Amino acid sequence: MQAEQKIVAQLVKKFAFLQERIFVQRQKRIFTLPLVKEEFEQVLPYLHAELGFAKASLVVGTDDGDDLGFIYILSNREGIILALKEKTPKSDPRIKTVTDLFPALALHERELVNLFGAVVEGLPGDSSFPLPDGWPEGSYPMRKDWNPQYFDQETMTYNPPSQEVEKEGGNE
Amino acid sequence: MKPKKGNNRIVIPIGPQHPSLKEPGCFRITLEGEKVVHAEIDIGYNHRGLEKACESRNYIQTLYLIERVCGICSHTHSTAFCQGIEELAGLSIPPRAAYIRVIVSELERLHSHLLWLGVAGHEIGFDTLFMYSWRDREKVLDVLAEVCGNRVNYGINTIGGVRRDLDESMQQNIAKVIAFLEDQLKYYLDLALTDPTLSARLAGIGKLSREDALKYGAVGPVARAAGIMEDIRIIEPYAAYIEVPVKPVTDTRADVLGRTVVRIQEMLESLEIIGYCLKNLPGGELTVKAPRRIPAGEVISRTEAPRGENIHFIRANGTDILDRVRVRAPTEANWHGMKHMLEGEYLADVPITIAAIDPCYSCADRAIVINSERKTEMMDWQGLREYSIDWYKKRGLDLSAVKMPERKIYI
Amino acid sequence: MLSALTKILVFPGFLFMSAYGLFLEYLDRKVYARLQHRSGPPWYQPLADFLKLLGKETIIPANANQRMFRILPVISLSAVATAFIYVPVLAKAPSASFEGDLIIVLYLLTIPTVSLFLAGWYSRSVYATIGSVRTLTQMFAYEVPLFMALLAPALIAQTWSVTGMAEFYSQNPLYHLLNIPAFFVALISGQGKLERAPFDLPEAETEIVAGPLVEYSGKLLAIFKMSAVCELVLIASLISAVFLPLMTGNPLLDFLLYLIKTMAVLLFLALLRSAMARLRMDQMIKFCWRILTPIAVVQIIINLVIRGVL
Repeated sequence: MQAEQKIVAQLVKKFAFLQERIFVQRQKRIFTLPLVKEEFEQVLPYLHAELGFAKASLVVGTDDGDDLGFIYILSNREGIILALKEKTPKSDPRIKTVTDLFPALALHERELVNLFGAVVEGLPGDSSFPLPDGWPEGSYPMRKDWNPQYFDQETMTYNPPSQEVEKEGGNE
Repeated sequence: MKPKKGNNRIVIPIGPQHPSLKEPGCFRITLEGEKVVHAEIDIGYNHRGLEKACESRNYIQTLYLIERVCGICSHTHSTAFCQGIEELAGLSIPPRAAYIRVIVSELERLHSHLLWLGVAGHEIGFDTLFMYSWRDREKVLDVLAEVCGNRVNYGINTIGGVRRDLDESMQQNIAKVIAFLEDQLKYYLDLALTDPTLSARLAGIGKLSREDALKYGAVGPVARAAGIMEDIRIIEPYAAYIEVPVKPVTDTRADVLGRTVVRIQEMLESLEIIGYCLKNLPGGELTVKAPRRIPAGEVISRTEAPRGENIHFIRANGTDILDRVRVRAPTEANWHGMKHMLEGEYLADVPITIAAIDPCYSCADRAIVINSERKTEMMDWQGLREYSIDWYKKRGLDLSAVKMPERKIYI
Repeated sequence: MLSALTKILVFPGFLFMSAYGLFLEYLDRKVYARLQHRSGPPWYQPLADFLKLLGKETIIPANANQRMFRILPVISLSAVATAFIYVPVLAKAPSASFEGDLIIVLYLLTIPTVSLFLAGWYSRSVYATIGSVRTLTQMFAYEVPLFMALLAPALIAQTWSVTGMAEFYSQNPLYHLLNIPAFFVALISGQGKLERAPFDLPEAETEIVAGPLVEYSGKLLAIFKMSAVCELVLIASLISAVFLPLMTGNPLLDFLLYLIKTMAVLLFLALLRSAMARLRMDQMIKFCWRILTPIAVVQIIINLVIRGVL
């Protein structure tokens, strides 16, 4: 646990805003609370360059109500996993690509675009992955309000019930 | 498509349907003569929306869905998922269950690597190796069918332990199979290192150096063949690996031959592990009681699949339905270095290079537990045959005259 | 006239060659399967495959050259059938023979390869194009050692006729031992000629699907397959006539010997096929030019010297 505590202490020392927002979950697991875009963009290069978190395994996209969450799962050579979280409001779901530091995350970011409707700035290419070609635009299946029963496989269209019903459901 | 002047390029699609691929994936290879100058990888043909489906099912239903992420390494996925849930619920599984999980996971590694060896042989036109290793794999599948009831998608894990016990005769049969495989595997290792055509086709192909493997986040045998010791069984022991000694296997060749050698040596190591587990199998219960509702929280669970590190991220919200699960199968991590490996190779080496990361594909399973009218019954081979004869008789087809070859299981 | 026609068309000509070819294919598949611990096909499988293909629909790609696409399988098969006329099956009497027929047989042998190349080329598919380029490249690799290995024994026998060579060596069996290196060169490059593993690059299934024949189907494919099978008979008969010419003079016994010899050649080819991985094109060319060709050249020099001594 000492190595993990040391990493946390180092991070808190460097970035004051991480105070109380980063903790050791258990052995070999460090979690943070969601950071906003500006904070995230400071912490990530530091982790990569100074603390040896050079391997990125995946990005998990989550739907947290009004926000979209992104959990970057990084690890260092000792096998310690750090889950660095970022959040952006759904109204402006912009994040910056991290593929310059972690080329292995290109497909995962593509997935965030396709499945969650995030806008990843600077991500090269525009192929549709993993959804098939011809998927209706603006329809993001991994968001909580997307319901598979309204999707018509024949015509590849997403037909949710009228807006009002949906709003009522949302307010409850 | 007319080739430009002085530009002798030709684009050849490998996939989505191609004899060398057993799963849909597309590789657009630009050739100059026989040399690959550009490779484009297009995957995603198999997206089944599994993670979304998990978000509307309870934990036990999700477990069975998760097991079907992959047909070959299904046990590793269900182990990772169960471990995550057990960690969230604060359960610790009985020692016997932990040992059985390890035995099944090593048997799975054996059958997965033997399958790979056969596929690799087929890709380089060495069908004899293909037939030999699949013949041996069949023995592992037989023993898995006996232990778990299925050849693939074993369904032996449950939240809080395992569902079936290993009785005395099963243990003996496993011991028989590992004794048989030991000789075979030593022969294959010898073959890989000494056969001239095999080493001519495998050595120096699909190079992914240590630096590149780190850069592209390669896992499993691909990373280990480049000299990176990346084995979750050692880095972060789980289940019974905490007690069972696991020797690391690495190689420095960083090419397809290195990956072949690593996989064969890993199989030999698996035999050791199974032997140890059988000898030290503790007694006791198989499961602890798991709650229906799992306390809210997040967990990252890792296991070592035959193809490398398998990561499950699970977020629970306190109900009996999970909030989010994200499965990072090992193949997903190994795709990134593929373009790098393919460019500059000969076309002839493309299939084996693709195969060398062992891309996952699903297999059909054979269920032997049927659940009808709330009654569960077990069927053996003979019973299954009678059931199918009846089934066809009802539809006006009498197949009872069809003779079946006698089924020999062990050696 | 009638007897000559029977000889050409029925026995030991075309019909016999096809039937024996199907049998050899069965034997090849069976041995290959047994070497791989499989049970292998029943004896009628090659015939059943052939008949099934005949009954299938023939599809010709829209942008392929229609006439060439149809005519090439027939050219290939007829070239093999013509060449077979000059190879002795029953004792010393092939259907036809003249001084220099060895050269004719060797020329006719290249026709199936060239028609395979053209078939792939006119199919206008990427896989077929790559396959046919490989067919041609591979031809330049094995053709030279194959020709040299077959011509070397002719130097000692001082005749350019297959029958004449068989006769000479059956009278002087000891000369035979001289030709053993050429025998193996001929067997291995013959494997290349037949495009079987480890030299099956043109049709490498896992790389280019089926190579030149990828667009072929139905009857046309059946004829191509038949011509490949007949080529197998031709190569096996030619090698056993040139390198294993044991003869008794009794036609029936000689025919039996012919069967045994060709099957022995086939067994060697099947063993070769099952024991090796497919080579890459550069490896194949290197192997043919650096190993097979020098051996054949040395063989020719030795035989020239011996001929001078004689």
